[in-house]
Amino acid sequence: MKYVDAGYLIALSVLFVYAVSLMVRRRRLERAVRASGHGATPTGSGSPAGGPEHRGGGGA
Amino acid sequence: MRAGVVRAVGAAAAVSIAATVWLGLWVTPPDQTQGNLVRLLYIHPAIAFVALYLAGGTAAAASLLYLWRRTRSLFWDRLAAASVEIAALFSALTLVTGSLWGRPTWGVWWTWDARLTSTALLLVLLLGYMALRRVPADPEVRAKRCAVAALIATVDVPIVHFSVDWWQTLHQGGTVLNPELDAHIHGSMAWTFLLGFVAMALLFVYLVAVRYRIELLTDRLGGEELEVSLAERRAEGEAPPGERPVAGEAPPADRRVSLSDARPGGPGQPDPATAGSPS
Repeated sequence: MKYVDAGYLIALSVLFVYAVSLMVRRRRLERAVRASGHGATPTGSGSPAGGPEHRGGGGA
Repeated sequence: MRAGVVRAVGAAAAVSIAATVWLGLWVTPPDQTQGNLVRLLYIHPAIAFVALYLAGGTAAAASLLYLWRRTRSLFWDRLAAASVEIAALFSALTLVTGSLWGRPTWGVWWTWDARLTSTALLLVLLLGYMALRRVPADPEVRAKRCAVAALIATVDVPIVHFSVDWWQTLHQGGTVLNPELDAHIHGSMAWTFLLGFVAMALLFVYLVAVRYRIELLTDRLGGEELEVSLAERRAEGEAPPGERPVAGEAPPADRRVSLSDARPGGPGQPDPATAGSPS
């Protein structure tokens, strides 16, 4: 079972650490954006289902 | 996607992963030939499925939509960037979990088998995309070159998929995604196998939503820095030759401008409503 246990342990712990690091990064950036006065996006999380918000390929 | 929906998807992913682990490690029986090693197959193919088809497919589709003039939007660029990072992570986990299964089954941690080699190549190409994305450039230029890089990387996805059919490989052929789409898995093992795919797909949706948000916020902060730099350059251009600051030196205090000063209509800028023709 040692290979099986190692497989589950590595896969799940890497995914957990990655998910937590993403959440921490997002929180930090949201704070930085709020501090710079840009405010939150009107579509809530601004995630993919919000759809293309900028046509023409111009700036960010 | 609303923050509440993202949180709900994240919670559903956590619950389904916990259920897969419980069923995979404690409920399902050992396999007749593989013994307990079959338990690794409740996560390994599901992780590979996300890396190749969900994340890889999303990255390819988003990059194509960015390159197509009619649908060009930085939305697709950010979505591709988010998907590529997740594809790279899941590709690495595919190789690690596969290696842990291969050592007791084949007797080796690694072999230059077509499926393994093409998957490792995919990981290298995805890492190349991530390195290319860090090269400083205008957002449009970066998006265009990254879209091309993503398409080059994802050409490897069908090669990985068909490698077991095109070449004689040590890696087994498709169990579920075989040419006949005829899976020979029984009872609780089949349900656990399927649940693993659902769990990893939900996790992908959650991760891509959070990663996309990070990309959006980073662009926003980066854009502000760019505006500040432009304001500084404009101020330098307006200063009389003797007063122009040398590169690396701060301009005199009375020539420093704020971001609002550099905007049309701001102090030191012609008002677009009243400014006359340059000639």
